[in-house]
Amino acid sequence: MTWSEIGWIIIGLAAILLTASSIIFKGRRSYFVRTSPAVKAFLDQRVTAIERGETRQIVLGDRFWSRANPGLELHALAVLPDLASPEAIADGGQTVAAGTGELVLFARQILTGGYQDGFSTGLHSLIMPVILPGPTPLSFLAGFLPEIGFQSPGSVGLFGNYGITAPMLAEGATRRGGHAFAAAGSVTAQAALFLNVRDLLIGEEVYLLPGLITRTPYNQAGWMAEDILRASLIALMAIAALLKMAGLL
Amino acid sequence: MKKILPILIASAAGLTILAGYFFQDQLAPVLGLLIHWGILLVGLTGLFGIGYLLKMHIMRIIRHQKGGFYSAIVLMSFLFTIGLGILLTPQHPFFRDWVLNIQIPVETSLLAILAVVLLYTSLYFLRTRGWTLMSVSFLVSALISLILNLGYIQLQQGTEAAQWMNFIRRLPIVGLRGILIGMALGGLIVGMRVLLAMERPYDGDK
Repeated sequence: MTWSEIGWIIIGLAAILLTASSIIFKGRRSYFVRTSPAVKAFLDQRVTAIERGETRQIVLGDRFWSRANPGLELHALAVLPDLASPEAIADGGQTVAAGTGELVLFARQILTGGYQDGFSTGLHSLIMPVILPGPTPLSFLAGFLPEIGFQSPGSVGLFGNYGITAPMLAEGATRRGGHAFAAAGSVTAQAALFLNVRDLLIGEEVYLLPGLITRTPYNQAGWMAEDILRASLIALMAIAALLKMAGLL
Repeated sequence: MKKILPILIASAAGLTILAGYFFQDQLAPVLGLLIHWGILLVGLTGLFGIGYLLKMHIMRIIRHQKGGFYSAIVLMSFLFTIGLGILLTPQHPFFRDWVLNIQIPVETSLLAILAVVLLYTSLYFLRTRGWTLMSVSFLVSALISLILNLGYIQLQQGTEAAQWMNFIRRLPIVGLRGILIGMALGGLIVGMRVLLAMERPYDGDK
């Protein structure tokens, strides 16, 4: 069996599991397996920030694509509609920042699309700024840090792709009394963020975030498919290790 | 139709790229075309990004917001650099020297600050995360890894102690692989959800 065939099997299995579990969850069944204190703290802090009149920043990453962590940028964009509810942006303290033109355009498209469905686009364009502090990781850092300094940050959420500079963004927020939350990659960024961000999601937890904020049938289907795939992979690796130890592989 | 068309385009493009990974010979011309379109669009979004950057700074100056002075410096530097680039071409030695002699020291100083921040946060790590099993394990394993990677401890190869040391050295790689497998599965599921139109980050619907 070639690696391509193994890839096909895993992708095919993921598609079948996703389809099957989305049918199951459309019938109002639920898969309430996970809770995350970090996500709860982040959402609570956003509410507190609104009440105190502090600003909230959603940061979508300082790069659009990473070969090592594909899908992180899509995940960051998928979180955006949940965090940009009318209540969250009504006071004008919500900002979305991104480090690439693609992310800014997608974010704007998502917000405008969402508001075209039921809210005034004029309202959105007035009070929900999407900013690009810098178009490269280091210029993004240099541009975003003063941006936090000019406001009083209540909550800063880091999503998407980052490099080693991620902890400086979090440090910038906490230094000014804000709450930092991170559900972001890469692995290097996660390791560095572990040092100074208390509310942090690591590894596959990052991809569970949309479902932890809003439980839709498709989110729960994704969880179930991922859990089954993970359990199968662990079992396969354990079997392969045992066979190797026995000299059969 | 307004909703269905983006879904069809996204799914068709995604599935074609995915199929091209497995049927490289048959789909090479189509893949080349799609990838070229993608590169063109990415380039164009880069221009839009610069537009957003300029808009942000111009608005800050017009509205007399905090940091307007810095925005003016950014705009002047931007206009000067782009003007010089157009006038002399980016390959001109003076232009290259001008850009690199500013950019490299600025980036290096940012990285130096980053090193200080990482050192500082490492020192205050237990205060941030508290004395939990996870935080203490992280700190101890980081310290052991640092000491082992200093290279001062050299053991004779083939001995049991050397094997144990190699085992301990490999442990972080094992953890890294575990995290990467989890992230790969998460990325796969996110990708499949987009391809099957269960999630549509491009139009804000879920």
